[in-house]
Amino acid sequence: MAEYVHPEVLVGTDWVAKHKGDDGIKVVESDEDVLLYEVGHIEGAIKIDWQTDLQDQLIRDYIDKDKFEKLMSEKGISNEDTVVFYGDKNNWWACYAFWVFKLFGHEKCLVMNGGRQKWVDEDRPMTKDVPDYPATDYKVSGLDESIRAFRDDVVKHIGSDNPLIDVRSTKEYTGELLHMEAYPQEGALRGGHIPGAANVPWATAVKEDGTFKSADELRSIYMDENGLKTGDDVIAYCRIGERSSHTWFVLRYLLGFENVRNYDGSWTEWGNLVKAPIEKP
Amino acid sequence: MKIDEIIELFHEADYQETLAMLLDYSENLPELPEEYKEARDAGYNRVTECETPVFVFVDVKDGKVKIYADVPRESPTVRGFVSLLVDAFSGATPEEVESAPNTLINSLGLDKKLGTRRMFGLSAVYNRIRSEVRESAAKN
Repeated sequence: MAEYVHPEVLVGTDWVAKHKGDDGIKVVESDEDVLLYEVGHIEGAIKIDWQTDLQDQLIRDYIDKDKFEKLMSEKGISNEDTVVFYGDKNNWWACYAFWVFKLFGHEKCLVMNGGRQKWVDEDRPMTKDVPDYPATDYKVSGLDESIRAFRDDVVKHIGSDNPLIDVRSTKEYTGELLHMEAYPQEGALRGGHIPGAANVPWATAVKEDGTFKSADELRSIYMDENGLKTGDDVIAYCRIGERSSHTWFVLRYLLGFENVRNYDGSWTEWGNLVKAPIEKP
Repeated sequence: MKIDEIIELFHEADYQETLAMLLDYSENLPELPEEYKEARDAGYNRVTECETPVFVFVDVKDGKVKIYADVPRESPTVRGFVSLLVDAFSGATPEEVESAPNTLINSLGLDKKLGTRRMFGLSAVYNRIRSEVRESAAKN
C-alpha cells in the first residue's frame, strides 16, 4: 500500500501522549466550539481559537503579522517549536489553524490524526489546567501567500485547465441550499458553484473514526475520480475557507500537490459578488 | 437569577470570565425529566436551526414558565447558553420572558466575545424558547 507523500506531518494519539511534554513540542487545540477546551484538553495544550484569536475582528481577514507575533509570544510558542494541532469535527478547525500558521510561515506544523474525538474515545486523560509557558519573542519573517487564493485568482482559474475544487456538501454545490445545513447565518445571496468547479465534499477524506483515509483511497477519490494531477495548480473553496483548509491539507501533504491554494473568501464572497459567474446544474 | 442580573454580570465580564460562567452553566443544566425523554428520542421539539441537537420543552402553568432542555455535553457553548435561559426564565412569568431584550445575545456581549459566526444557533434557541412561551401562555 502506498504511503502519504508527507507522512511526517501526521502523528497519532500515541505519539502525542508520549511527546506532549518534550522540549520544542507545543500542542495546540483548535475547535469549533469555543468552550470545549475549557471542558478538558490534552495536558499542556494551548488553546487557539480560529475566530477570536486568528481572525481580525474588524475587517474580513486574518490578524496581521504584528498580532500573530504577539499571540505566539504570549502563548509561549517559539519559531523553532513543532506545533501539533488537534481539534473537534475531524480536525476541521485544526487544519484551519494549521493553514493560518503556514500563512505566517511557521515551519514545523503537525496534525494529530483523528483529533479530539479519537483522544476522547481512547479514554486518554484530559485536564482543565491551562499551561503557563514563558513568553517568547516570536518573529514572522515573511507571509506565505502562495497557499492563499483571492477572488481575482479564482477569476483567472475559470475557463483555464486549472482545477477548482468545491468541498461543500452536494446540496450547497448544486445551489439547492444557500448555506450548509444548520449554518444559515453564513449564507450567500446566490446559490450554485464557481463555473468548472468539481464537487468533492471535504469529509470524503476521513474515516468514521475521524482519521484520514489511506493514501490509496485518497488518490482514488481526488485523482482517479476527479482527475486531479499532482502538478496541477488547484484552488479549493467552501463557504468561509475552513472546510477547504482541510482539503488543502489532504492535497498538499497527504497527496503531495505542490500548488494548491485555499480560497478563504469562498462562497460567502463569491455568492454575494455582483456579476460573478455562477454555474448551477 | 433574573435575566437583568445575568446581563449585568456578563456585561462586566471579560472573555475568560464569560467562558467560565458559560462553562458553569453548561455543567449545571438540569437533566431532562424522564417524562420528556420519549419525546426527545422520537425527535420531537428539536431546534432544527441549531447544528447541535438541542431539544427544548416549554410549559406555562399557573402563570409560571417551565423550561426543560437537553443539549449534549460535547457542545458546551450551546449547552451553557440554554442552561442560562433555563435559569433566567424557569419560574418567571410569560411577561418577563416577553420583556427580555430581543437582542439578548448582544446584551450579554456574546457576539463580541465569542465571535459573530457562532451566534446563529444561540439566537435560534432563544427565539424558539420565547415563541413557545408566547404560544403556551396564549393557550392557557
